[in-house]
Amino acid sequence: MRDGAGRRPERREEEEEEEKEEKERRKRKRRRSARADLQFSLQVSCSMAGGEEFFLDEKRFKQCCEDFVKHSQQIGDGWEWRTSKDLGDGYLSKTHFQVRNRHIPPDLKEKNSDNTEQMLFAHIEEPLDDSQAAGVCSTEEVVRYEYHVLYSSSYQVPVLYFRACFLDGRPLTLDEVWGSVHASYQDRLQEGPWDTITQQEHPILGQPFFVLHPCRTNEFISAVLGGSQERHRHTNYIILWLSTVGPVVGLNLPLSYAKLAPEQSTDADLAE
Amino acid sequence: MPQERAHGRAQYRMTDDKDVLRDVWFGRIPTCFTLYQDEITEREAEPYYVSMTKLLLPRISYLTLVTDKVKKHFQKVMRQEEVSEIWFEYEGTPLKWHYPIGLLFDLHASNTALPWSITVHFKNFPEKDLLHCHSKDVIEAHFMACIKEADALKHKSQVINEMQKKDHKQLWMGLQNDKFEQFWAINRKLMEYPPEDNGFRYIPFRIYQHYGKTACSSLLDP
Repeated sequence: MRDGAGRRPERREEEEEEEKEEKERRKRKRRRSARADLQFSLQVSCSMAGGEEFFLDEKRFKQCCEDFVKHSQQIGDGWEWRTSKDLGDGYLSKTHFQVRNRHIPPDLKEKNSDNTEQMLFAHIEEPLDDSQAAGVCSTEEVVRYEYHVLYSSSYQVPVLYFRACFLDGRPLTLDEVWGSVHASYQDRLQEGPWDTITQQEHPILGQPFFVLHPCRTNEFISAVLGGSQERHRHTNYIILWLSTVGPVVGLNLPLSYAKLAPEQSTDADLAE
Repeated sequence: MPQERAHGRAQYRMTDDKDVLRDVWFGRIPTCFTLYQDEITEREAEPYYVSMTKLLLPRISYLTLVTDKVKKHFQKVMRQEEVSEIWFEYEGTPLKWHYPIGLLFDLHASNTALPWSITVHFKNFPEKDLLHCHSKDVIEAHFMACIKEADALKHKSQVINEMQKKDHKQLWMGLQNDKFEQFWAINRKLMEYPPEDNGFRYIPFRIYQHYGKTACSSLLDP
């Protein structure tokens, strides 16, 4: 029995399958290029001076966090809001596990401790190529990451704190954390590691955490957003910021969060 | 943002009152360091060393910055393989080296008789309580981060960001080498504001509470 287009039913099924696959491929390609675009525009923006200052007040921080957590719950992304008993402050928190390849590159430079042996980690997404694999021993290890997002009233921006330990409870050293920064950001890290990631006392818990320094957050957030603050009153600052800084330290946001951060559209511009 | 206020008298500058600045800078706390008993391991064929050493600690500095001699002294009575990162404790509480010494004393020991008795450890570093301090770079990074955060409140980071790297270095070296003039040559810029402004944007203020409660900082309008 042939259909209107003159094709047999089984062939139509095959074609539909192929079409589906093709759509998926195109979707993945679009996502990759969207990410690449964002990364590229960030790198360009960071080298530009100026851009209007885009500060986040604490009230708006809390509102963005609330919306963020709601969406996280919908998609099972594991974020929760925690408050401290003593202080009125709260923060976002998420724990997850990452598998790392452990390898010792030959051209290591000491930046921190007196230890002569240093461990570096590579993200599992990037397989070692031949030159890296040569003369390298590799074991997989699981690292437990705990991320916190707090508000800094000094800088009026959110700040990302995290701690990381192996399954046996041993915390990562500063060198190990620097080594685990994503390959795309290593160059920028090496320019000023002491200005980028260091240990600090968690403002609410009082315990040692690693922190991604907030000094330059405002610089690149305002460069990315551009334009007036008015236009971006509906943007979820947390999503924009976290999707930008998170990947530096192994934290990636599923693209579904983009639903909460409406893109700039010409319609919105015209409506003003 | 601070409102415009009329001043009845001439503007007061902190840097005019050098005596006070010098008193703060040169404040000292007599301290006695004792190695934790369980960590003393006698070396064979070595004379027994006195297990205490005394120092006058600067209030405005950091424990790990001013205790090199203490470290060297006690490492002599320990086996090399047993020595790892030094840390300090007072009456069972690990001392946060990233707090200024004067603050630590006021928080933990202000009611006890001098000298302040601190216990020195080289083992069992308390990972959950203390930041690591493997080199002077760590202390410098911490110190500069505090300076930058304070200037974010005072001047929206304008003064600190306009300074050259060598000025930042001079601040740090002044602290490290206990050089008042060297330090204040740069710090006075961070403590000034243009006459047309009515003071700092916000005053950096941190309150530390007793017994394990954490510090809180909030925005204070001058």
